[in-house]
Amino acid sequence: MGTATRPDASAPAGASGADDPRLEQLEDLGDEDFERDGSSGDDDDSGDFDDNSATGEGRRRFSTGWVAIGIAVGLVLGVAAGLLIPGLTRPGETSVEAGFARDMSTHHAQAVEMSMLAHEKATDPDVRTLGADIALTQQAQIGIMQTWLRDWHLTPTGTTPRMAWMPDGGGTIHDGLMPGMATDAERAQLRAATGQDFDTMFLRLMLNHHLGGIHMAEAALDQSDDEQVQSLAGTMVAGQKKEITAIQALLDKVGAK
Amino acid sequence: MSISTQGGDQSRPSVVSTGKKPAAGGKPAAGGKPATGNPGGGRPGGQGRGAGGGGKGPRKPIAPVKVSQGRNWGPIALFVAVGVLAVGIIGWGGWAVFQGAKPWADQAAGIDGIKDYRESPDKSLTASDHAWGPVSYSLTPPVGGKHNFNWQNCMGDVYDAPIASEHAVHSMEHGAVWVSYKTGLPADQVSKLAEKVRGNEYMLMSPIDNLDKPISLQAWGYQLKVDNADDSRIDTFIRALRTNAGIEQGASCSGGITATGTTPRDLGKDGATQ
Repeated sequence: MGTATRPDASAPAGASGADDPRLEQLEDLGDEDFERDGSSGDDDDSGDFDDNSATGEGRRRFSTGWVAIGIAVGLVLGVAAGLLIPGLTRPGETSVEAGFARDMSTHHAQAVEMSMLAHEKATDPDVRTLGADIALTQQAQIGIMQTWLRDWHLTPTGTTPRMAWMPDGGGTIHDGLMPGMATDAERAQLRAATGQDFDTMFLRLMLNHHLGGIHMAEAALDQSDDEQVQSLAGTMVAGQKKEITAIQALLDKVGAK
Repeated sequence: MSISTQGGDQSRPSVVSTGKKPAAGGKPAAGGKPATGNPGGGRPGGQGRGAGGGGKGPRKPIAPVKVSQGRNWGPIALFVAVGVLAVGIIGWGGWAVFQGAKPWADQAAGIDGIKDYRESPDKSLTASDHAWGPVSYSLTPPVGGKHNFNWQNCMGDVYDAPIASEHAVHSMEHGAVWVSYKTGLPADQVSKLAEKVRGNEYMLMSPIDNLDKPISLQAWGYQLKVDNADDSRIDTFIRALRTNAGIEQGASCSGGITATGTTPRDLGKDGATQ
């Protein structure tokens, strides 16, 4: 190999030197050729270019072709990476983010149902207002979370069980219900309740519902580093804590024991 | 060793490289063109090409064959071609992403035995206008069609008696999956189905008296009938179609009718509040 390398290495010196016999040949070629020839310092490259010069256009196409192919391959790889990387980095089917978006959507949906009842039939006007506030806020948040799922190319219904994304989350499910959710019987009672009984029952169910929701949102804050999840879960925790204070004040106001 | 080689090389420096590069790239023209000025080669150009890797020493293709025709067009054409290729790849990628926006329909289509009525020539099957009073449906249970102004509550509600299809169809329009079973299905089967429904919005469940199969699942435009609550296709159906099949995105499942009975309740008709 030493023998092969050494003569090659000497070639550029010869090529750019004024006394190079080949200079006469090169003079016939364009300036560009000469400059490129002289500037290519590497052994192999300069050798190649000598050959280019000598053989003319065919040789040039050769190297240009390789440059073009190299660029094409680079583009293909770049585009493929661009297509692939979002798919690899966005939350997947069993991720904390997907579990949170799906389960919190369901959790919220029940809050919306109860709050709409409150907006419709509560006796105390402040309870009616609270109902509208919770229903509109949580319905909008459902929309945000469903949009995430769509952006992540995930379906609203997951393959994993409810709360599987939370540590020991499976144990929090009772009769298919996540923490704080009202049972079918409680929902039926709420629908049937009237007057102050309704107001009291709604406030108590909503208090429990918020406690469960805060628990879930805090788990998402702990486990996810997704910026949007952090932001929305943080909003939920702060907002529902404030509403719990309001609910407790309203429970006093409506005379609940 | 290196001296003797170098000396020979200096006299015709390109010789070495000529032999080398074709070995790497196999460029045909390099061997072919200079054939005239290559007395030492002793090989026809074509052969030199093929044996480029071995034809190291003896060739002296020094003759400065001047070729000055539009050599600049080659690179331009190549870069244009590369540009077109790149645009094509990016366009294809964008198209693929766009197409990937509805994988749930593919999931549904892959379920063995599922019936898709969305493209049925009978458009009454998936008509979506509102009507008071009883509606006659050609499918049992229906998968769509004219329906009552009020929807059946579908917040994971498990109804223990038959409900009005006129309300349930409206629920499916909102994205609900309606799990129905033949009246008299064994209790353990019923509770297995109820586990899939309870606590999940966009789900409702009810018995049907004159069902031709033990279990029938419906979503807007889709139906799957199975014999057993353990059938894995049930979960696949729910996963693919729950909310996705609905034609009113974001529509609610709460605030609906919670009563049972197969006669539709015309709440709101003529100001009736029932």
